[in-house]
Amino acid sequence: MTNLDVFDPTGAIEITQLHAARLDGLDGKRVGIISNDEWQAHRTLPLVTEILQRDFSDVEIIPPDQFPFGNDQIDSDDTVAAAKANKVDAIIMGNAA
Amino acid sequence: MGVVKNAVAGLGFDQDAPMVTFPIDVFLIESDLTPVEGGKQKFIDGLLDWKPAADTKGIRNAEMIDLDVDDYESAVVKTNNLFLTNLWADGLPVIPPTADKIDWILQGTDRPRDEHIGKFMPRGGIVTVETCAISLAMSGGRPEYLPVLLAAVETILQPEMDHDKWQSTSGMTFPVIVVNGPIAKDIRINSGFGLMGPNPQAPAGGSIGRAVRLMQQNVGGALPGTGTMAIFGAMRYTNAVIAEAEDVLPDGWEPHATEWHSIERGTNSVSVFVATGGSNVIRRGTGKETLEVEAEDSLRRVATYMQTANPHYIRGWTDGSAGAVIISPVVAKQLAQLGWTKKKVREFLWEHTKIDKKTVIDSGLEQWIRASTDPVAQAADIDPWPISKRPDGIMLLVAGGAHPTHNFWLQGNALTVGKCLVETPSGWKGLLEQADRDIGCADDLCII
Repeated sequence: MTNLDVFDPTGAIEITQLHAARLDGLDGKRVGIISNDEWQAHRTLPLVTEILQRDFSDVEIIPPDQFPFGNDQIDSDDTVAAAKANKVDAIIMGNAA
Repeated sequence: MGVVKNAVAGLGFDQDAPMVTFPIDVFLIESDLTPVEGGKQKFIDGLLDWKPAADTKGIRNAEMIDLDVDDYESAVVKTNNLFLTNLWADGLPVIPPTADKIDWILQGTDRPRDEHIGKFMPRGGIVTVETCAISLAMSGGRPEYLPVLLAAVETILQPEMDHDKWQSTSGMTFPVIVVNGPIAKDIRINSGFGLMGPNPQAPAGGSIGRAVRLMQQNVGGALPGTGTMAIFGAMRYTNAVIAEAEDVLPDGWEPHATEWHSIERGTNSVSVFVATGGSNVIRRGTGKETLEVEAEDSLRRVATYMQTANPHYIRGWTDGSAGAVIISPVVAKQLAQLGWTKKKVREFLWEHTKIDKKTVIDSGLEQWIRASTDPVAQAADIDPWPISKRPDGIMLLVAGGAHPTHNFWLQGNALTVGKCLVETPSGWKGLLEQADRDIGCADDLCII
């Protein structure tokens, strides 16, 4: 028996950003909804909005039309700028398939 | 789910994200959205309770793997079993990427092995010269193939190539690498019979293309069903790596690299575009017609294959390419003798591939055109609709066996056509001489 060392072919990964801390609750919070307008997002995201508002009457939902809209459009710094301008505490983005 | 994990990794996050997943049925037209209601708590957990795996920034290196082996055979078996288990292989045998093997492959460049080339999206794995050598070793490559592989990968990772999109899309997208310059023949990349492979007399294209595919998967995260949504895969394990038959181009027919990239003839280069499939087109007549009639009929026949209401044309409509028509040297010679220039062929194909407005509307292509970003959106009203903004959006390549019967159409999804010059190492001549000793001479006199 002998040792054979082989390379892992996947390459290094660099973590440059950490995910945002989670919220301590939803009441009084502003949640932005960003849509790539794909895969029935025009039906699922309004439903998600309704679900959240049903349980958290004090949550403020910022709708998709307050942000860049569409698959090519949301992939831009304008989306970040819109999130800041709308003073959101969290974002829900959809849909991917 | 894997697509999203890759996407966030590509943005610099750890390969994880708070997401709520559903079966694909939920995302189809007129779907039942009851599962979304049922997922309420998951949405809330994602906002309030989800915990990421990584809490520190920094580089996570890929470590060497230590295997206990008895002999050569067990080394190969254990490596292949491990790589399949780890989802690093592709079902074909891999050559174990040992330190000695990588050192051997790295003779193909003078560049430092840790030179950073870029990040392969959507996973964001870091690509170095060594990363390329590892995949080339796995795919059965040789050192003299490395310069072309490095140039191809550099091209793919250029921002304008938008590779993160076509890596993870549901379409059958794969890179086509066209090699121009004497290096193609020197290292045995095919420009003749069996162009798309396999051809044991021209094995380099297969190894190089497979190395790219392995990197797409392992470094870039394009694992079927999780990292890439390619419904039907990528057509082949080896992508398409071909050479243009430059030495038999008719007078006045410039090489692809010169036409598209203004690269001087005789310069080693790669040109890369994204395709979604290929069609073999019988072009020849039955032999009873005149040459002129056959030539024009054959181009019309090619045009019928290209003239489809394919939304992929939108991607390359303005600045990219609709795709590439591959013409065998024999046919190119005939066309040239009849007065067809490359420009004339392109203009003919462009005119005869236009799609009438009714078809644009009835096929739903109009919706795709209008959903795209400007300036293509303006093009929806053009009647008939051309498959590219200008005739020069159609590439013409001269390659394939010396036989007149077929042309080949490579359907494009090509936002752009990238390029890179190929850099050879100081010991290049020695590498080629060693290759001749190892696998037989590459000279035309030696090819059957």
